Amino acid sequence: MDSRVYILGRDSAPQYLRLEAGEELAMTLVVPPGTDVQYSLEVDLCGPGAGLDLAGLYLCPGSERVELRVLVRHSAGGCNSRQLFKGIVGGTARALFDGLIYVAPDAQKTQAYQENHTLLLSETARTESRPQLEIYADDVQCSHGATTGYLNPEELFYMRSRGIPEAEARRLQMQAFLAPVIRRLSDAAAEEIYASLP
Amino acid sequence: MNKVLLEIKNLHASVDGKEILKGVDLTIRRGEVHAVMGPNGAGKSTLGAVLAGRPTFEVTEGSILYDGRDLLALSPEERSWAGIFLSFQYPVEIPGVSITNFMKSAVAARRKAQGLPELTPGEYLRLLKEKMALVQMKGEFARRDVNVGFSGGEKKRNEVFQMAMLEPVLSILDETDSGLDVDALRIVAEGVERLRTPETSSIVITHYQRLLDYIVPDVVHVLKDGRIVRTAGRELVDQIEREGYESIHG
Repeated sequence: MDSRVYILGRDSAPQYLRLEAGEELAMTLVVPPGTDVQYSLEVDLCGPGAGLDLAGLYLCPGSERVELRVLVRHSAGGCNSRQLFKGIVGGTARALFDGLIYVAPDAQKTQAYQENHTLLLSETARTESRPQLEIYADDVQCSHGATTGYLNPEELFYMRSRGIPEAEARRLQMQAFLAPVIRRLSDAAAEEIYASLP
Repeated sequence: MNKVLLEIKNLHASVDGKEILKGVDLTIRRGEVHAVMGPNGAGKSTLGAVLAGRPTFEVTEGSILYDGRDLLALSPEERSWAGIFLSFQYPVEIPGVSITNFMKSAVAARRKAQGLPELTPGEYLRLLKEKMALVQMKGEFARRDVNVGFSGGEKKRNEVFQMAMLEPVLSILDETDSGLDVDALRIVAEGVERLRTPETSSIVITHYQRLLDYIVPDVVHVLKDGRIVRTAGRELVDQIEREGYESIHG
Protein backbone atom coordinates (compact mmCIF):
# COMPACT_ATOMS: atom_id res chain seq x y z
CA MET A 1 0.00 0.00 0.00
CA ASP A 2 1.15 3.53 -0.79
CA SER A 3 1.96 5.22 2.54
CA ARG A 4 2.62 8.90 2.94
CA VAL A 5 3.31 11.23 5.85
CA TYR A 6 2.94 15.00 5.62
CA ILE A 7 4.04 17.53 8.22
CA LEU A 8 1.67 20.44 7.72
CA GLY A 9 3.33 23.82 7.66
CA ARG A 10 6.52 22.17 6.40
CA ASP A 11 5.60 19.78 3.59
CA SER A 12 3.37 20.62 0.72
CA ALA A 13 0.44 18.31 1.27
CA PRO A 14 -2.10 17.50 -1.46
CA GLN A 15 -5.54 19.06 -1.24
CA TYR A 16 -7.25 16.75 -3.66
CA LEU A 17 -6.69 13.06 -4.31
CA ARG A 18 -8.45 10.55 -6.55
CA LEU A 19 -8.26 6.87 -5.80
CA GLU A 20 -9.05 4.66 -8.80
CA ALA A 21 -10.35 1.09 -8.76
CA GLY A 22 -8.41 -1.09 -6.33
CA GLU A 23 -6.03 1.72 -5.39
CA GLU A 24 -5.11 1.93 -1.71
CA LEU A 25 -3.56 4.79 0.16
CA ALA A 26 -2.42 5.27 3.75
CA MET A 27 -1.86 8.88 4.64
CA THR A 28 -0.86 10.54 7.89
CA LEU A 29 -1.04 14.25 8.60
CA VAL A 30 0.96 15.83 11.41
CA VAL A 31 0.53 19.33 12.78
CA PRO A 32 3.51 20.03 15.07
CA PRO A 33 3.29 22.53 17.94
CA GLY A 34 3.65 26.17 17.00
CA THR A 35 1.99 25.72 13.61
CA ASP A 36 -0.99 27.78 12.50
CA VAL A 37 -2.70 25.99 9.69
CA GLN A 38 -5.86 25.97 7.64
CA TYR A 39 -5.89 22.84 5.61
CA SER A 40 -8.55 21.19 3.49
CA LEU A 41 -8.34 17.78 1.93
CA GLU A 42 -10.74 16.04 -0.41
CA VAL A 43 -10.30 12.40 -1.27
CA ASP A 44 -12.47 10.91 -3.97
CA LEU A 45 -12.82 7.15 -4.02
CA CYS A 46 -13.97 6.88 -7.58
CA GLY A 47 -13.23 3.28 -8.57
CA PRO A 48 -14.60 0.09 -7.00
CA GLY A 49 -12.45 -1.42 -4.28
CA ALA A 50 -10.43 1.73 -3.54
CA GLY A 51 -9.28 2.12 0.05
CA LEU A 52 -8.25 5.07 2.19
CA ASP A 53 -6.58 4.83 5.59
CA LEU A 54 -6.23 8.40 6.81
CA ALA A 55 -4.93 9.54 10.20
CA GLY A 56 -3.83 12.80 11.67
CA LEU A 57 -2.56 14.36 14.83
CA TYR A 58 -2.42 17.99 15.83
CA LEU A 59 -0.49 19.38 18.75
CA CYS A 60 -1.58 22.83 19.84
CA PRO A 61 -0.26 23.50 23.35
CA GLY A 62 0.19 27.27 23.02
CA SER A 63 -1.75 29.82 21.03
CA GLU A 64 -2.06 27.93 17.74
CA ARG A 65 -4.98 28.24 15.35
CA VAL A 66 -5.57 24.97 13.54
CA GLU A 67 -8.41 24.14 11.15
CA LEU A 68 -8.58 20.80 9.44
CA ARG A 69 -11.31 20.04 6.95
CA VAL A 70 -11.60 16.65 5.37
CA LEU A 71 -14.09 15.48 2.78
CA VAL A 72 -14.05 11.81 1.89
CA ARG A 73 -16.24 11.18 -1.11
CA HIS A 74 -17.37 7.66 -1.89
CA SER A 75 -18.32 7.97 -5.55
CA ALA A 76 -17.99 4.29 -6.40
CA GLY A 77 -19.28 1.23 -4.58
CA GLY A 78 -17.29 -1.32 -2.60
CA CYS A 79 -14.73 1.18 -1.28
CA ASN A 80 -13.61 1.58 2.28
CA SER A 81 -12.28 4.54 4.19
CA ARG A 82 -11.02 4.94 7.73
CA GLN A 83 -10.13 8.19 9.46
CA LEU A 84 -8.60 8.72 12.87
CA PHE A 85 -7.72 12.25 14.03
CA LYS A 86 -6.27 12.99 17.44
CA GLY A 87 -5.55 16.42 18.86
CA ILE A 88 -3.96 17.82 21.99
CA VAL A 89 -5.06 21.39 22.63
CA GLY A 90 -3.78 23.58 25.46
CA GLY A 91 -2.94 27.15 26.38
CA THR A 92 -5.23 29.46 24.45
CA ALA A 93 -5.09 27.44 21.24
CA ARG A 94 -8.09 26.85 18.99
CA ALA A 95 -8.54 23.69 16.98
CA LEU A 96 -11.29 22.72 14.57
CA PHE A 97 -11.85 19.41 12.90
CA ASP A 98 -14.51 19.31 10.25
CA GLY A 99 -14.98 15.96 8.60
CA LEU A 100 -17.58 14.99 6.05
CA ILE A 101 -18.15 11.53 4.66
CA TYR A 102 -20.21 11.68 1.49
CA VAL A 103 -21.62 8.50 -0.01
CA ALA A 104 -23.04 8.82 -3.52
CA PRO A 105 -26.40 7.16 -4.44
CA ASP A 106 -24.85 4.23 -6.28
CA ALA A 107 -21.87 3.71 -3.95
CA GLN A 108 -23.34 0.54 -2.41
CA LYS A 109 -21.27 -1.67 -0.07
CA THR A 110 -19.40 1.35 1.18
CA GLN A 111 -17.56 1.09 4.48
CA ALA A 112 -16.62 4.44 5.97
CA TYR A 113 -15.50 5.26 9.50
CA GLN A 114 -14.30 8.43 11.13
CA GLU A 115 -13.08 9.20 14.64
CA ASN A 116 -11.89 12.45 16.18
CA HIS A 117 -10.59 12.60 19.74
CA THR A 118 -9.30 15.65 21.55
CA LEU A 119 -7.38 16.02 24.77
CA LEU A 120 -7.69 19.45 26.37
CA LEU A 121 -4.84 20.65 28.56
CA SER A 122 -6.33 23.91 29.79
CA GLU A 123 -9.62 25.58 30.56
CA THR A 124 -8.84 28.28 28.03
CA ALA A 125 -8.19 26.00 25.08
CA ARG A 126 -11.03 25.59 22.60
CA THR A 127 -11.79 22.69 20.34
CA GLU A 128 -14.57 22.02 17.92
CA SER A 129 -15.38 18.80 16.20
CA ARG A 130 -17.86 18.60 13.35
CA PRO A 131 -18.24 15.08 12.10
CA GLN A 132 -20.82 14.73 9.37
CA LEU A 133 -22.27 11.93 7.30
CA GLU A 134 -24.11 12.47 4.05
CA ILE A 135 -25.33 9.15 2.78
CA TYR A 136 -27.42 8.56 -0.33
CA ALA A 137 -26.91 4.81 -0.71
CA ASP A 138 -28.76 2.28 1.43
CA ASP A 139 -26.40 -0.68 1.68
CA VAL A 140 -23.50 0.87 3.58
CA GLN A 141 -21.66 0.68 6.88
CA CYS A 142 -20.73 4.11 8.15
CA SER A 143 -19.97 5.53 11.56
CA HIS A 144 -18.37 8.50 13.18
CA GLY A 145 -17.45 9.44 16.70
CA ALA A 146 -15.93 12.33 18.56
CA THR A 147 -14.75 12.72 22.15
CA THR A 148 -13.19 15.52 24.14
CA GLY A 149 -11.60 15.15 27.56
CA TYR A 150 -8.94 16.20 30.00
CA LEU A 151 -6.00 14.23 31.36
CA ASN A 152 -7.30 11.74 33.88
CA PRO A 153 -6.44 12.87 37.45
CA GLU A 154 -6.79 9.31 38.79
CA GLU A 155 -4.20 8.04 36.32
CA LEU A 156 -1.92 10.96 37.17
CA PHE A 157 -2.05 10.27 40.90
CA TYR A 158 -1.54 6.55 40.36
CA MET A 159 1.61 7.21 38.33
CA ARG A 160 2.92 9.83 40.75
CA SER A 161 2.36 7.49 43.68
CA ARG A 162 4.80 5.14 41.93
CA GLY A 163 7.41 7.87 41.75
CA ILE A 164 6.81 9.08 38.20
CA PRO A 165 7.17 12.88 38.26
CA GLU A 166 4.02 14.80 37.38
CA ALA A 167 5.34 16.20 34.10
CA GLU A 168 6.42 12.76 32.94
CA ALA A 169 3.11 11.22 34.03
CA ARG A 170 1.32 13.78 31.87
CA ARG A 171 3.60 12.99 28.95
CA LEU A 172 2.98 9.25 29.32
CA GLN A 173 -0.75 9.88 29.17
CA MET A 174 -0.37 12.04 26.08
CA GLN A 175 1.84 9.45 24.40
CA ALA A 176 -0.72 6.76 25.14
CA PHE A 177 -3.46 8.97 23.72
CA LEU A 178 -1.52 9.62 20.51
CA ALA A 179 -0.10 6.10 20.12
CA PRO A 180 -2.53 4.82 17.46
CA VAL A 181 -1.41 7.64 15.15
CA ILE A 182 2.25 7.79 16.25
CA ARG A 183 2.56 4.09 15.41
CA ARG A 184 2.25 5.03 11.72
CA LEU A 185 5.32 7.28 11.76
CA SER A 186 9.01 6.49 11.46
CA ASP A 187 10.99 6.19 14.68
CA ALA A 188 12.66 9.54 14.00
CA ALA A 189 9.34 11.31 13.40
CA ALA A 190 7.83 9.68 16.49
CA GLU A 191 10.77 10.81 18.60
CA GLU A 192 10.33 14.34 17.31
CA ILE A 193 6.67 14.30 18.34
CA TYR A 194 7.48 12.88 21.78
CA ALA A 195 10.14 15.53 22.33
CA SER A 196 7.68 18.29 21.41
CA LEU A 197 4.97 17.29 23.88
CA PRO A 198 4.35 19.98 26.49
CA MET B 1 12.83 -0.76 70.60
CA ASN B 2 13.27 0.04 66.93
CA LYS B 3 13.39 3.55 65.60
CA VAL B 4 10.15 5.37 64.93
CA LEU B 5 9.39 5.45 61.20
CA LEU B 6 6.03 7.22 61.11
CA GLU B 7 4.48 9.58 63.60
CA ILE B 8 1.01 10.92 62.91
CA LYS B 9 -0.31 13.52 65.32
CA ASN B 10 -3.85 14.87 65.53
CA LEU B 11 -4.44 14.40 61.81
CA HIS B 12 -7.54 16.01 60.39
CA ALA B 13 -8.40 15.63 56.71
CA SER B 14 -11.35 16.66 54.55
CA VAL B 15 -12.66 16.04 51.10
CA ASP B 16 -14.94 18.62 49.49
CA GLY B 17 -15.22 20.39 52.83
CA LYS B 18 -16.41 17.26 54.65
CA GLU B 19 -14.15 16.18 57.50
CA ILE B 20 -13.25 12.48 57.29
CA LEU B 21 -10.29 12.17 59.65
CA LYS B 22 -10.97 13.86 62.97
CA GLY B 23 -7.75 13.69 64.91
CA VAL B 24 -5.77 10.52 64.18
CA ASP B 25 -2.67 9.68 66.24
CA LEU B 26 -0.51 6.77 65.13
CA THR B 27 3.12 5.81 65.71
CA ILE B 28 4.81 3.06 63.73
CA ARG B 29 8.32 1.75 64.34
CA ARG B 30 10.59 0.08 61.83
CA GLY B 31 9.87 -3.60 61.36
CA GLU B 32 6.28 -3.38 62.58
CA VAL B 33 3.06 -4.36 60.85
CA HIS B 34 0.02 -2.38 61.92
CA ALA B 35 -3.51 -3.35 61.00
CA VAL B 36 -6.06 -0.58 60.65
CA MET B 37 -9.54 -2.04 60.87
CA GLY B 38 -12.94 -0.48 61.07
CA PRO B 39 -16.42 -0.32 59.60
CA ASN B 40 -17.09 1.07 56.13
CA GLY B 41 -16.83 4.83 55.95
CA ALA B 42 -14.64 5.11 59.05
CA GLY B 43 -11.85 6.83 57.10
CA LYS B 44 -9.44 3.90 56.62
CA SER B 45 -8.85 4.50 52.93
CA THR B 46 -8.63 8.24 53.53
CA LEU B 47 -5.76 7.64 55.93
CA GLY B 48 -3.90 5.65 53.26
CA ALA B 49 -4.64 8.24 50.59
CA VAL B 50 -3.44 11.12 52.78
CA LEU B 51 -0.19 9.28 53.50
CA ALA B 52 0.39 8.81 49.76
CA GLY B 53 -0.50 12.44 49.02
CA ARG B 54 -3.71 12.16 47.04
CA PRO B 55 -4.50 15.75 46.01
CA THR B 56 -8.26 15.45 46.54
CA PHE B 57 -7.78 15.32 50.32
CA GLU B 58 -7.01 18.42 52.29
CA VAL B 59 -5.13 18.14 55.56
CA THR B 60 -6.60 20.81 57.80
CA GLU B 61 -4.76 20.10 61.03
CA GLY B 62 -2.03 17.93 62.50
CA SER B 63 1.33 16.62 61.37
CA ILE B 64 2.99 13.57 59.89
CA LEU B 65 6.66 12.88 60.47
CA TYR B 66 8.14 10.17 58.27
CA ASP B 67 11.70 9.10 58.98
CA GLY B 68 12.19 12.51 60.59
CA ARG B 69 10.83 14.45 57.60
CA ASP B 70 7.66 16.51 57.24
CA LEU B 71 5.70 14.17 54.99
CA LEU B 72 2.96 16.67 54.19
CA ALA B 73 5.50 18.94 52.52
CA LEU B 74 6.35 16.27 49.93
CA SER B 75 4.66 15.64 46.57
CA PRO B 76 3.28 12.14 45.86
CA GLU B 77 6.35 11.29 43.75
CA GLU B 78 8.75 12.53 46.44
CA ARG B 79 6.96 10.33 48.97
CA SER B 80 7.42 7.36 46.66
CA TRP B 81 11.13 8.12 46.32
CA ALA B 82 11.34 8.31 50.11
CA GLY B 83 9.99 4.75 50.32
CA ILE B 84 6.22 5.10 50.71
CA PHE B 85 4.02 2.78 48.71
CA LEU B 86 0.22 2.64 48.58
CA SER B 87 -1.39 -0.50 47.23
CA PHE B 88 -4.65 0.88 45.83
CA GLN B 89 -8.00 -0.53 46.80
CA TYR B 90 -9.10 0.19 43.24
CA PRO B 91 -6.01 0.06 41.01
CA VAL B 92 -6.28 2.50 38.10
CA GLU B 93 -6.38 1.42 34.46
CA ILE B 94 -3.98 3.25 32.16
CA PRO B 95 -4.84 2.44 28.55
CA GLY B 96 -1.90 2.69 26.17
CA VAL B 97 0.81 2.39 28.84
CA SER B 98 2.36 -1.05 29.25
CA ILE B 99 3.39 -2.39 32.65
CA THR B 100 6.97 -2.58 31.36
CA ASN B 101 7.09 1.10 30.41
CA PHE B 102 5.18 2.19 33.48
CA MET B 103 7.59 0.47 35.84
CA LYS B 104 10.62 1.50 33.79
CA SER B 105 9.65 5.15 34.26
CA ALA B 106 8.99 4.60 37.96
CA VAL B 107 12.24 2.76 38.63
CA ALA B 108 14.28 5.23 36.58
CA ALA B 109 12.79 8.27 38.35
CA ARG B 110 13.41 6.77 41.75
CA ARG B 111 17.02 5.80 40.97
CA LYS B 112 17.65 9.29 39.65
CA ALA B 113 16.22 10.83 42.83
CA GLN B 114 18.40 8.54 44.90
CA GLY B 115 21.51 9.41 42.90
CA LEU B 116 21.88 5.88 41.55
CA PRO B 117 22.95 5.10 37.97
CA GLU B 118 20.33 4.05 35.43
CA LEU B 119 19.73 0.34 35.02
CA THR B 120 20.84 -1.19 31.71
CA PRO B 121 17.99 -2.76 29.71
CA GLY B 122 19.30 -6.20 30.68
CA GLU B 123 19.42 -5.35 34.37
CA TYR B 124 15.91 -3.93 34.23
CA LEU B 125 14.56 -7.04 32.52
CA ARG B 126 16.13 -9.31 35.12
CA LEU B 127 14.62 -7.24 37.92
CA LEU B 128 11.20 -7.33 36.21
CA LYS B 129 11.27 -11.12 35.82
CA GLU B 130 12.45 -11.71 39.36
CA LYS B 131 9.66 -9.60 40.85
CA MET B 132 6.99 -10.98 38.54
CA ALA B 133 7.89 -14.48 39.72
CA LEU B 134 7.23 -13.37 43.30
CA VAL B 135 3.52 -12.95 42.55
CA GLN B 136 3.41 -15.71 39.94
CA MET B 137 2.89 -13.40 36.97
CA LYS B 138 3.70 -14.74 33.52
CA GLY B 139 6.01 -12.95 31.09
CA GLU B 140 3.26 -11.69 28.79
CA PHE B 141 1.76 -9.80 31.75
CA ALA B 142 4.41 -7.11 31.47
CA ARG B 143 3.39 -6.27 27.93
CA ARG B 144 -0.24 -5.62 28.82
CA ASP B 145 -1.55 -2.13 29.47
CA VAL B 146 -1.58 -1.26 33.17
CA ASN B 147 -4.64 -2.92 34.76
CA VAL B 148 -6.66 -2.77 31.52
CA GLY B 149 -8.98 -5.77 31.38
CA PHE B 150 -7.38 -7.31 34.48
CA SER B 151 -9.45 -9.45 36.81
CA GLY B 152 -9.70 -8.34 40.45
CA GLY B 153 -7.02 -10.83 41.43
CA GLU B 154 -4.67 -9.75 38.63
CA LYS B 155 -5.02 -6.12 39.68
CA LYS B 156 -4.05 -6.88 43.26
CA ARG B 157 -1.14 -9.06 42.14
CA ASN B 158 -0.02 -6.20 39.95
CA GLU B 159 -0.05 -3.92 43.01
CA VAL B 160 2.15 -6.32 44.96
CA PHE B 161 4.41 -6.74 41.92
CA GLN B 162 4.87 -2.94 41.80
CA MET B 163 5.54 -2.96 45.53
CA ALA B 164 8.25 -5.58 44.97
CA MET B 165 9.79 -3.49 42.17
CA LEU B 166 9.94 -0.37 44.34
CA GLU B 167 10.98 -2.05 47.61
CA PRO B 168 9.19 0.42 49.89
CA VAL B 169 10.12 1.24 53.45
CA LEU B 170 6.50 1.87 54.43
CA SER B 171 3.87 -0.01 52.49
CA ILE B 172 0.18 0.74 52.91
CA LEU B 173 -2.09 -2.05 51.76
CA ASP B 174 -5.57 -0.65 51.24
CA GLU B 175 -8.09 -3.50 51.23
CA THR B 176 -5.65 -5.62 49.26
CA ASP B 177 -7.75 -8.65 50.16
CA SER B 178 -11.04 -7.35 48.75
CA GLY B 179 -12.29 -9.21 45.72
CA LEU B 180 -9.73 -11.99 45.98
CA ASP B 181 -10.43 -15.70 46.05
CA VAL B 182 -8.46 -17.85 48.48
CA ASP B 183 -5.69 -18.73 46.02
CA ALA B 184 -5.13 -15.14 44.90
CA LEU B 185 -5.22 -14.01 48.52
CA ARG B 186 -2.49 -16.50 49.39
CA ILE B 187 -0.28 -15.42 46.46
CA VAL B 188 -0.69 -11.76 47.37
CA ALA B 189 -0.12 -12.33 51.09
CA GLU B 190 2.94 -14.50 50.53
CA GLY B 191 4.37 -11.87 48.22
CA VAL B 192 3.91 -9.23 50.91
CA GLU B 193 5.38 -11.50 53.61
CA ARG B 194 8.50 -12.14 51.55
CA LEU B 195 9.06 -8.40 51.17
CA ARG B 196 9.11 -7.91 54.94
CA THR B 197 12.42 -6.90 56.51
CA PRO B 198 13.37 -5.68 60.01
CA GLU B 199 13.79 -2.21 58.50
CA THR B 200 10.44 -1.95 56.72
CA SER B 201 6.94 -1.43 58.06
CA SER B 202 3.42 -1.96 56.77
CA ILE B 203 -0.03 -0.61 57.39
CA VAL B 204 -2.65 -3.18 56.48
CA ILE B 205 -6.05 -1.58 56.01
CA THR B 206 -8.79 -4.15 56.07
CA HIS B 207 -12.37 -4.74 56.97
CA TYR B 208 -12.02 -8.45 57.67
CA GLN B 209 -9.61 -10.63 59.53
CA ARG B 210 -8.79 -13.06 56.73
CA LEU B 211 -5.76 -11.20 55.33
CA LEU B 212 -4.44 -10.93 58.88
CA ASP B 213 -4.31 -14.73 59.07
CA TYR B 214 -1.49 -14.48 56.53
CA ILE B 215 0.08 -11.13 57.35
CA VAL B 216 0.22 -11.17 61.14
CA PRO B 217 0.08 -7.69 62.65
CA ASP B 218 2.08 -6.52 65.67
CA VAL B 219 -0.44 -3.82 66.50
CA VAL B 220 -4.14 -3.54 65.65
CA HIS B 221 -6.05 -0.26 65.55
CA VAL B 222 -9.75 0.27 65.18
CA LEU B 223 -10.75 3.38 63.30
CA LYS B 224 -14.30 4.63 63.78
CA ASP B 225 -15.74 7.89 62.56
CA GLY B 226 -12.34 9.38 61.78
CA ARG B 227 -10.63 8.51 65.06
CA ILE B 228 -8.66 5.58 66.36
CA VAL B 229 -10.84 4.29 69.19
CA ARG B 230 -8.82 1.28 70.27
CA THR B 231 -5.25 0.05 69.91
CA ALA B 232 -4.18 -3.38 71.05
CA GLY B 233 -2.33 -6.53 70.01
CA ARG B 234 -3.54 -9.14 67.54
CA GLU B 235 -6.05 -10.51 70.03
CA LEU B 236 -8.22 -7.53 69.08
CA VAL B 237 -8.74 -9.12 65.66
CA ASP B 238 -10.43 -12.10 67.28
CA GLN B 239 -12.64 -9.88 69.39
CA ILE B 240 -13.77 -8.00 66.28
CA GLU B 241 -14.43 -11.27 64.51
CA ARG B 242 -16.57 -12.49 67.42
CA GLU B 243 -18.37 -9.32 68.37
CA GLY B 244 -18.14 -6.97 65.42
CA TYR B 245 -17.20 -3.30 65.52
CA GLU B 246 -20.23 -2.38 67.59
CA SER B 247 -18.51 -3.68 70.70
CA ILE B 248 -15.42 -1.53 70.25
CA HIS B 249 -15.59 1.86 71.89
CA GLY B 250 -13.05 4.49 72.71
